[in-house]
Amino acid sequence: MNEGLVVVVRAIISFFTLLIFAKILGKEQISQLTFFDYILGITIGSIASEATVDLSSRAWPHFVGLLSWAVLAYLMQYISLKWRYAAKIIEGEPVIVIMNGKIMDNVLRQMKFRASDILELLRNQGIFDMNEVDYAILEPNGSLSVLKKPEYLPLIRKDMNIKAKPTGISTELIYDGKLIEQNLRQMNKDKKWLINQLKKFGIRDVSEAFLVTLNDAGSLYVDKYNDEIKKVKDIGDYKGPY
Amino acid sequence: MRRILIIAIPVITLVLFVLIMHSGNFLKRPMGKDDDIPGTIDGIIEAVRNDSWDEADSRLKGLENAWKKVLFRVQFGSERDEINQLTKNIARLKGAVTAKDKSGALMELNEAYMHWDELGN
Repeated sequence: MNEGLVVVVRAIISFFTLLIFAKILGKEQISQLTFFDYILGITIGSIASEATVDLSSRAWPHFVGLLSWAVLAYLMQYISLKWRYAAKIIEGEPVIVIMNGKIMDNVLRQMKFRASDILELLRNQGIFDMNEVDYAILEPNGSLSVLKKPEYLPLIRKDMNIKAKPTGISTELIYDGKLIEQNLRQMNKDKKWLINQLKKFGIRDVSEAFLVTLNDAGSLYVDKYNDEIKKVKDIGDYKGPY
Repeated sequence: MRRILIIAIPVITLVLFVLIMHSGNFLKRPMGKDDDIPGTIDGIIEAVRNDSWDEADSRLKGLENAWKKVLFRVQFGSERDEINQLTKNIARLKGAVTAKDKSGALMELNEAYMHWDELGN
């Protein structure tokens, strides 16, 4: 038996099966996962790795295991979407741990959190003075969302009655030297206009630009392949081998 | 069309993977003249019973070649232990045939048949 070849084939099977199931489950960003989602991810990954290297059993039982976990996860997602009550039990819900500046110690006890844990989460958000906090909500994924008291909120233009022109989001017009015509049309521009703009930056052809973006306010960002920077600053603090 | 492809490609991929994983049971069946393992085992059993050791030895060489061919096909859908056990059976059978040990040879042949049967299941 060519074990290396068999492992490669099983790795391909596990890899693409996991990719397909992960796409179907459509998970949120890592930061939004609940504890159970995290455990689910580890378990499914563990099954996939066993499917790849455990040659003492066939790949099929591992595939069935992967499929079962994926189907159950999908089912839980579906039930949570359709039935609010179940969602509350399965995913939990956010709880207020600080209200009007006061710590809800009975809630902390229920959540098995200590005051030191809350202080740590606040420090992670740059809050070192509890007096700044108006509300703090513990999310199901274990993170803390904080609303500061109005006097501690950062100043915004609205407070100063300064009108701000909307900038919109940047759209890529050139990516890795290639023109994205669809985006150009979307921004109501044409290639002739783009080339004229690029000439101001010393670019004669689209392929010379690494990245070009344009936003709704008309701000054009251009980055060339040839940045003419002779030496990139070394920000390392140790000499190292290179 | 694009939507159909987005659904069809993963489905076809998964079906292909399932077929590969179940391929052992199908691909172990004889496809030519010289990869018929159960037939060869039966032939060796007959030869051993009749004390035709030269014939048994000749058929044993055929069994080794057949197993090499079948092994390449079934390795993706079978357990490593079953494959290794069958390989060991053939090795021990060689010794039994050389030693003209009837009981040993028959034991190994029957065990080999059992392992071949389990292959891919």
